[in-house]
Amino acid sequence: MNEDRFWLLVSLKLSGEAKPEEMAELGTLLQQYPELGLRAEVLNTIFQPRSKSQSTDKDISFNRHLQRLSNHFSEPVLQYENAEQSELIEQPRIRPFIRKKLLWITGFAASILIVWFVAIYVPGKNNQPKTSAQNTVSTKRGSKSKIQLPDGTQVWLNADSKITYNENFQGALREVQLTGEAFFDVVRDESRPFVIHANAIDVRVLGTAFNVRSYENEKKTETSLIHGSVEITLRNSPDNKYILKPNEKLIVQNDNLQLLAEKDATKKSEPKKPILTLAKINYQEKDTSALETLWVKNKLAFDGETFEEIALKIERWYDVKVNINDDRIRKVEFSGIFEDENLQQVMEALQITGKFKYNIYKREVTIGR
Amino acid sequence: MSQLATIPELQKRIALYEDMKAYKDLYQLLYDGLHRFSFSIVRSREVAEEIVSDVFIKVWQIRGRLPEIDNLKVYLYTITRNFSINYIQRNYKNAAISIEEMDIEPVIQVGNPEDQCISAEVTGRIRQAIMQLPPQCRIIFQLVKEDGMKYKEVAEILNISVFTVRNQLAIAIRKLGESLPLYVQSHIPAINRFSAS
Repeated sequence: MNEDRFWLLVSLKLSGEAKPEEMAELGTLLQQYPELGLRAEVLNTIFQPRSKSQSTDKDISFNRHLQRLSNHFSEPVLQYENAEQSELIEQPRIRPFIRKKLLWITGFAASILIVWFVAIYVPGKNNQPKTSAQNTVSTKRGSKSKIQLPDGTQVWLNADSKITYNENFQGALREVQLTGEAFFDVVRDESRPFVIHANAIDVRVLGTAFNVRSYENEKKTETSLIHGSVEITLRNSPDNKYILKPNEKLIVQNDNLQLLAEKDATKKSEPKKPILTLAKINYQEKDTSALETLWVKNKLAFDGETFEEIALKIERWYDVKVNINDDRIRKVEFSGIFEDENLQQVMEALQITGKFKYNIYKREVTIGR
Repeated sequence: MSQLATIPELQKRIALYEDMKAYKDLYQLLYDGLHRFSFSIVRSREVAEEIVSDVFIKVWQIRGRLPEIDNLKVYLYTITRNFSINYIQRNYKNAAISIEEMDIEPVIQVGNPEDQCISAEVTGRIRQAIMQLPPQCRIIFQLVKEDGMKYKEVAEILNISVFTVRNQLAIAIRKLGESLPLYVQSHIPAINRFSAS
């Protein structure tokens, strides 16, 4: 007997690759040579599926992976920490395990955990059924995210932002709550309007693409419409509706809410009215994208913004703290677009125009004269 | 393997929705296998874990194009192979260039300690026989036995022909079989009986 042939047939059977005729041939051989059959039987036993490792081990290892993933994507941001190691740029991408100083969980990893968290709690001020589960997706500073809502609407979430919506997303309205900045590309459904509840405003749409910027620590709330149409109502005066046309943006001054109401002494009972500005969206000359939505493409854009405003953007974008020690610089305005540039490169460019000095230490940027 | 059926679905969910749950599921499905494969080449658990992590960073980077990949499992094993070989070449002078020349550390389960079917003597003989297989033969045996890979998949991962896989596996099985005494004291339960029926 050809033993090579016998073992080939055994190997085909064990690996599940044997054809019916090969199985038959093996069967015949096994009857003729029972002593070989015993050996094959032992091999068959060791070929049984292995026991699986504990899933908790994999949980731990997945969390370690998430840390590396978030570190990986924020590496340009962290470059300034390793400035003295710039000659090591050519080093292997796989670093020794021990040298992993990068154990902080950045927004990315953290936001993932939040995505999984389905809260039963419903914020009190929203008139939604209290029993329905809410999904919350949030991003930390230094991270962005893109999500798809159950109706197919795409939402890009900028850094340090949060969006909450009903888990099943059913009912007469498609409602979401937003803090921070998000770009919406809403799937058209005329029977179920899409409503965004932001800090000072409610935005009601059918199907359209637009950007809402509503950070709690900023003085204004901006809505920029790219196409379609949106209807905006102010939280404090629901009767006044503002319809935006494409390429318009509505700016609501949050911090003047109080001021305005105080001036308006004659109508004390009236709700507070914010100051409104209607403006045009700014387009780049060579680009079809509006400046207001460049962040979706990972471009950091400043459009005649004061350094104070820019500092807030930088803090969120790079997850750093900006200390301005030179008051003269606060109101200086800057314009510019940065693509794939790290904090140091951005500061360098601003410094040339703004004639200030800066210092980056760990996660703090200090601006001085 | 029933888990294979879900990989295309996870692939789709990651691509369309950037679904982190799907991403985690994919990681957990493939972690053991990819880690074992990488470990066989780099011979360090820590390095192998980093390599698997790098492979999944790559998955995240190309998430939008995932549906274009026909067999994601094979694709990820192939990247793991490349990353692992790259690591060896970067970190060791005069390192081998191909798996055939590498010192492959087999991670092959030969019976459980609680498994009463096979005596310690028999498992010892098999382990020894595995160590005496040529490196490429060792890794082919491991991918088929431990990862349940088809010949075609192994061939693609190792960039060799299906014919080579088939021959090398037959050699491995023969060497292992011949390492066993001809008349094994058998306590093998009838369920596990080897037959061609």
